[in-house]
Amino acid sequence: MENTTPTADSSSEGGRCLRFSVKAQAAKLAEIRRFVEEVGYEFGLDEERVFDLKVAVSEACANAVQHSGGTHAPLELCAWFHPNRLVFEIADSGDFRVPQAERSAGADTRGLGLPLMVALMDEVRIRKTRGGGTNVTLSVFTGV
Amino acid sequence: MRLASSQLAHIPLIVIEGECDHGSAKALHAAVEDALSADPRAILLDMEKCTYIDSGGISVLLGAVRRLRGSGWLGVLAPNDNVRRLLEIVGLTVDTGFRVFDDPLDASLALKDLGD
Repeated sequence: MENTTPTADSSSEGGRCLRFSVKAQAAKLAEIRRFVEEVGYEFGLDEERVFDLKVAVSEACANAVQHSGGTHAPLELCAWFHPNRLVFEIADSGDFRVPQAERSAGADTRGLGLPLMVALMDEVRIRKTRGGGTNVTLSVFTGV
Repeated sequence: MRLASSQLAHIPLIVIEGECDHGSAKALHAAVEDALSADPRAILLDMEKCTYIDSGGISVLLGAVRRLRGSGWLGVLAPNDNVRRLLEIVGLTVDTGFRVFDDPLDASLALKDLGD
């Protein structure tokens, strides 16, 4: 657990950020969901929205685990608290992949992760980082 | 995630308890493959105690539906509202090779129809 303690931070926008860092491996996904749960309920989301967030963040992280190619490089999560929006940012240091062009064991379900993220979140952004990794942001809007 | 395999009216029944994700889907895949090896007309998954599923687990369900479509179906028993919503989003609930049952009795009746 030494590398999994959430730490607080703040942004130039004035939002508060909680960081969470784990090894990029599928076995860590449950731990990541506990973090998402804590953050979601603290933000005031209901059980259904928290479930949506858990799925969306898990899908993004599962992709990141694939990008890491078994190297177990660190997977960085950041939960941004804004007045009307909760944003999860997931960054990996693996090689950027076009999200559609990948999939795991279930060979007949290519690219199910991204459509699920889009269906469950209010906004999804994916970009290539300067270092060649992938940065995904998942947003839930409230009170609009 | 914990799995338990048994039978209901000679049809494989797999009880899924806990979280079915990318880390645990492999075990579900193995259990489903094992059930399919006997060439059943249907398979039942008891999901009443399944608290979470994502594309890791859903991909296993989709694979089973593909194999059973035509001769029968994959049945899911008592999924919670969140799990059911995901199954709807991915289009499983309108698939002819997929059934959702709220009650074991409904599943038993549907299995009888399948046998006729």
